[in-house]
Amino acid sequence: MVKMNSLEALVAQIQGLSGNSSDIHQLHGHLKQSDQFLYSESTRLAPVLTQLDPAKHSLGYLYLLEAVTSAPFSKERANELVVVVARFINACTAKQIRLAPDKFISVCRRFKDQVMLLEAPMRAVAPLLTAIQKLQPSTEHLTTLHPDFLLVCLSTKCYKTGLHLLEDNISEVDQPRDFFLYCYYGGMICIGQKHFGKALELLHNVVTAPMSTLSAIAVEAYKKYILVSLIHLGQFTTSFPKYTSSAAQRSLKNYCQPYLELANSYSTGKISELQTFVQMNRDKFVVDTNLGLVKQVVSSVYKRNIQRLTQTYLTLSLQDIANTVQLSSPKEAEMHVLQMIQDGEIYAAINQKDGMVRFLEDPEQYKTCEMIEHVDSSIQRMMALSKKLTAMDEKMSCDPSYVSKAGRERQRFDFDDFDGVPQRFNL
Amino acid sequence: MASSSSSGLTFKLHPLVIVNISDHHTRVKSQSQPPHASPSSANGCDASVSAPAAASPPPRVFGADKKVFPNFYILGWYSTGSDAQESDMLIHKSLMDINESPVYLLLNPSINHAQKDLPVTIYESELHVIDGIPQLIFVRSSYTIETVEAERISVDHVAHLKPSDGGSAATQLAAHLTSIHSAIKMLNSRIRVLHHYLLAMQKGDITSENSLLRQVSSLLRRLPAIESGKFQDDFLMEYNDTLLISYLAMFTNCASTMNDLVDKFNTAYDRQSRRGGRSAFM
Repeated sequence: MVKMNSLEALVAQIQGLSGNSSDIHQLHGHLKQSDQFLYSESTRLAPVLTQLDPAKHSLGYLYLLEAVTSAPFSKERANELVVVVARFINACTAKQIRLAPDKFISVCRRFKDQVMLLEAPMRAVAPLLTAIQKLQPSTEHLTTLHPDFLLVCLSTKCYKTGLHLLEDNISEVDQPRDFFLYCYYGGMICIGQKHFGKALELLHNVVTAPMSTLSAIAVEAYKKYILVSLIHLGQFTTSFPKYTSSAAQRSLKNYCQPYLELANSYSTGKISELQTFVQMNRDKFVVDTNLGLVKQVVSSVYKRNIQRLTQTYLTLSLQDIANTVQLSSPKEAEMHVLQMIQDGEIYAAINQKDGMVRFLEDPEQYKTCEMIEHVDSSIQRMMALSKKLTAMDEKMSCDPSYVSKAGRERQRFDFDDFDGVPQRFNL
Repeated sequence: MASSSSSGLTFKLHPLVIVNISDHHTRVKSQSQPPHASPSSANGCDASVSAPAAASPPPRVFGADKKVFPNFYILGWYSTGSDAQESDMLIHKSLMDINESPVYLLLNPSINHAQKDLPVTIYESELHVIDGIPQLIFVRSSYTIETVEAERISVDHVAHLKPSDGGSAATQLAAHLTSIHSAIKMLNSRIRVLHHYLLAMQKGDITSENSLLRQVSSLLRRLPAIESGKFQDDFLMEYNDTLLISYLAMFTNCASTMNDLVDKFNTAYDRQSRRGGRSAFM
């Protein structure tokens, strides 16, 4: 309905109809119809943008901006566009942009691409974080922008900002691929910050996520998962939990052979064997960019062995520790033990005069008020989780694909049991 | 019916008697058509009476009672209803052959939540001159509930009627926790009332009453009976243990729900999820 020379008319409409929500809906309708027109006029749109206020006219601005960025442009223009988009993201109103989420996502994506092209990914970190916060209906929603943001954090090594986003518990996912990427990048960020526990959890999510065919992201995640499991837990179990998809259970191991053998060699506890194995397969690890992790795995063997000693001995001399753990000198043993005490991995006291280490018990007595509050908050969290799970369980019970299959497979003991469950529902 | 008795007798009522009467009433009500009053055979009220009463020869009807309970004698009778009635006076007069001043105990079975006191009234009969005719009428007497502290607990236990065969552990635990919960709730509401009152006094809305303040202060001084470091430690450790147990229980509950959910999901969406799974057989 909007005709040719009516770019000014459109701008006027945007300016006029950006008041309350009913006007905005009307405006949205107009804008949807003018989509094609905007794409055709994309070159002329840049100066028009200055007439609009990104905060008040967010929806209209978004449409124009999306049309502007859809056209290819030169590097100089890229710079000023990056500035314009960053300003828009900071200023826009969340309610308005949520009406056209895909346009917003594509604008942000192109923004990120441009920033990477300009080789200044740092400029995208803050705007993308703001964009995510404005786009998601609640902190439990995963948007398509989450993995992009994490990728930018990884490129700029801004791990802390990424970690901050990872603390939210996700319970709603739009696109499965976003989830895979989010968990994978999130795992890598946690590894970078040495939060191996959280990394393990995130990588576990990728590996066990529902997938009908094996995803490459899952394969890479599984490799890292094996390594992080060895570093953090000191062991690795090859059996999958029952909620893993059958596609993953069947084929995942075929792609990760060297890593599984590494895990086997680790469990023997012999460092020399482990090191030879790593040397032999070094190239494979380098190709997967996992060499750093593998090296951490090797150094964690010492930790495991020292920890095993705490279960056998009450006191031990540093020389004995060095001998048992195959370290070269008591000095090194002392360093290792000191590091572990600082990290809270063991409880011990080193007597430097006679070089004896005394292993102690966990000093936590569980009789402080802080512990009470800690347990109480855990109980509250558990109650909220339980409610969510029960709701999901109920929803699942009503799911037609479940009901049809459940009926089919029930045991039939009696002739009368053969009546019954319809195989398909005409919905 | 005059308002208060002038006989000088003070009555002390035992709570078990009240429980008996209400029990009897409930039994009769459930077994037969409920009459609006159920006068029954006089019972031996073991209320202690402070004024001396002479032992009187029992009539034939109650001879059996006398043999069974030689140390007790008939003091009066009880019935249920809302108010003493004329028909009751006839029964009362007949009892006066045994005991020249019988006591009539009236229990009001209708539950009235607004009423704070027990719905039990004790009447005595007195000879009053009304319109020139001497008449026997009922006059109310005051009474107090007398009981020993230890007895109160047993009566409380009887009143609650816990399932004696053990029930299931869950119902017993639930009953136990419910009683604790109601006790704590009552304590909480009373403390809140006091607190509110004291706050109002502090603000100056109400005139401060020194006697009340003294009582509150003495109560507060009595409170921390045990206040040592060791007690704190043990108490907190036990508190933590209980919390951990509830945490574990919630964990198990959650894990079970999650297990069900995963099973359902696998059935619905995952092909070939079970090898050698169940199949229909004839």
